[in-house]
Amino acid sequence: MGTEKVPSSIVHFAELDKLLNLCRANSLWPMTFGLACCAIEMMCTGGSRFDISRFGAEVFRPSPRQSDVMIVAGTITRKMEPGVKTLYDQMPEPKWVIAMGNCAISGGPFKFKGNYNVVEGADQFLPVDVYIPGCPPRPEALLEGIMTLEEKITGKRRWPRRQPGQVTG
Amino acid sequence: MTVPIQCRPDEVFVLNLGPQHPATHGVLRVKLTMDGEYIVKAEPVLGYIHRMHEKMAEAGSFAQFMPNTARMDYLHALAYNHGYVLAVERAAGIEVPERAEYIRVITVELNRLSSHLLWWAAFLLDLGGFTPLLYAFDDRERILDLLERITGSRLTYCYFRFGGVYNDIDDEFIAGTRDFIKRLRSRLPRMYHDLVTHNIILIKRLKDIGFITPEQCRKYGATGPVARGSGINYDVRKNEPYSVYPEFDFDVPVYTECDSMARYMVRMDEIEQSLRIIEQALDKLPDGPVKAKKVPKILKPAAGDYYAAVEAARGAFGCRLVCDGGKSAYRLKLRSPTFSNLSLFGEVAEGMLLADALAFMGSLDLVIPEIDR
Amino acid sequence: MSIVEETRKALLQLFPEQAAAEAEAEAAADAEAAAGAEADTDATAEDTASTEEAGEAAGGEETAAEPAAPAKEEEPAEEGPRENGVLVTDHAARGTHLDVLCDPEQVVEAAGIMDEAGFFLEAITGVDWIKEDRMEVIYDYNQTGPDPCRVVVRTFIPRANPEIPTISEIHPGANWHERETHDFFGIKFQGHPYLEPLLLPEDADFHPLLKDFTP
Ligand code: SF4
Repeated sequence: MGTEKVPSSIVHFAELDKLLNLCRANSLWPMTFGLACCAIEMMCTGGSRFDISRFGAEVFRPSPRQSDVMIVAGTITRKMEPGVKTLYDQMPEPKWVIAMGNCAISGGPFKFKGNYNVVEGADQFLPVDVYIPGCPPRPEALLEGIMTLEEKITGKRRWPRRQPGQVTG
Repeated sequence: MTVPIQCRPDEVFVLNLGPQHPATHGVLRVKLTMDGEYIVKAEPVLGYIHRMHEKMAEAGSFAQFMPNTARMDYLHALAYNHGYVLAVERAAGIEVPERAEYIRVITVELNRLSSHLLWWAAFLLDLGGFTPLLYAFDDRERILDLLERITGSRLTYCYFRFGGVYNDIDDEFIAGTRDFIKRLRSRLPRMYHDLVTHNIILIKRLKDIGFITPEQCRKYGATGPVARGSGINYDVRKNEPYSVYPEFDFDVPVYTECDSMARYMVRMDEIEQSLRIIEQALDKLPDGPVKAKKVPKILKPAAGDYYAAVEAARGAFGCRLVCDGGKSAYRLKLRSPTFSNLSLFGEVAEGMLLADALAFMGSLDLVIPEIDR
Repeated sequence: MSIVEETRKALLQLFPEQAAAEAEAEAAADAEAAAGAEADTDATAEDTASTEEAGEAAGGEETAAEPAAPAKEEEPAEEGPRENGVLVTDHAARGTHLDVLCDPEQVVEAAGIMDEAGFFLEAITGVDWIKEDRMEVIYDYNQTGPDPCRVVVRTFIPRANPEIPTISEIHPGANWHERETHDFFGIKFQGHPYLEPLLLPEDADFHPLLKDFTP
């Protein structure tokens, strides 16, 4: 994490790139795209208590052509798979994918022997940048996921990472 | 509102609404044949989130299926918990202690509140108002806090057990719930009704839109607020009482206007009724165990089939459980209310303006994973 | 008369034999009662007269229908195959009030009777009884009146050639339910206007809820 190169232009302007990445990382526009239960927690993250706009990611765009990050919030089924792929293809570069919830990570609770309709993980056909486990993940977890994505884009973490059990101030 | 369609057949065009569309609340797709702004034909296409619940019920044991019930209608997960445990308890002949029944009612009704609040927020978002969402989520988060305290999760509860509930409620929960009731009561008339319900824009957008006759409701099997908005006085809690609902004094709001506004009003009134039920249940809460003793770990109900129905936030949810004497269900059919409610859409939306159709769709309160199961 | 009794009576139109048998039993019961109370000749004459209208009057009197019900209840619990007919079931134990077993051809007629009685269709369930080499189709009906009355209509069709007439003309809501059942079990609903996959992908050619299905 943090060391991976973000695909960008062929010609590099080191300092400008850094600045651009900083801008991108702090105004990620997610796509309004809820598949299932996890989408409700995504709404909660945008709602009044968790307030995703503190991190500059509140501009949920209904159109893929205006968004930077796709939050795959829910189960992908065989019937939906081509749709998700099309949506991803329609997003302009640079773009990132967050797999939110166990379903998007691995099929989650729907992975069983007789599975005939659920795709076992978004990473089977999309390049996933951040995985957020949980069923559904708490809104805090989604915020942490967005911060992790920022870290991946800029190479450094803006907000201090807290250890489990550490009391907040 | 129906407008006679007089266009030439070669002037109509096909429009895809969804599967990724903010107003379809998930991944519903509607194939629309349009004449300008008017809908000639609307055909919902389902299955984008079909998650094999019925197959999974056959693969695992009865207890293993419990978490699935919460993932069908995740907004009113506890009602689905309830419907499923009722069916299995009926099949296996398990008695539930009284305190557990009361806790079930309290939590189901709290969950119904959170479901209606979310519907309210999302519905108004469809209509173009963003601010109500912030108010509704403020209240909703408080319900989630309360439920999280006792169930352990915020959304996909797996709280009920065969013969009771997972754990007891404590004084803090009771005090918190009472506080919440007071808070919502004070906010309902001022914030919800004064700001939104009496708003002329809302009224203009909902009045006389999406007219569903009672006969249509019956022919398509619509239940819940959709049927009650069309003057059908049907609520499983009253008509076919289960659990301890007969103990409580509450009304079933019925409106006869048959339009989207009526459905809106039914849900808003139900919020008040749910508050009443919770209040009475807290007052009457008996002491005792919250789980039946001697419920076997592995259930093997006798062969036969059983039906149980509950009133979920969207209508009558039913479980048809077919057992063959084994330790998993031979077949579990889940009757989801929105499946039937949505099947109306095609017929009613004909001749509507597209923007009105979206208001109408919002008033049906769709949860797609529950339709597709 | 309670709604359960009324509906039962209406459904007996499907089964003239059961209706006739019940009418006979009732006549016998009446005759007994008549023997007991010979004094009131007028009333008994009327009673016997009414029961002679076989089929129609069956189950008309609650006193006659009540003792008959528990006796029939034991039938499905036993191993022997159940005969076509209407059963009164215990709602507390089963969740339904009336249980109808009929021939596949009769489901449309049954749907018509239910429609006339003001019922709506709740769900259609398929069950794959692979060991018996047949499939079951269960129709759940319900009504919105003040008293509960749930009716289940069930029928069996051969597994090799699962075909059954559609009821979507009578209950338009059945359209989707039948499509769903076709998805899951491959049951063909003859006369259905649009029997395409509903929940499965458009090109799906498998029926996942069959017991011998492997993905
Ligand atoms: S991970 Fe859990 S909560 Fe999220 S979509 Fe899947 S089942 Fe629903």
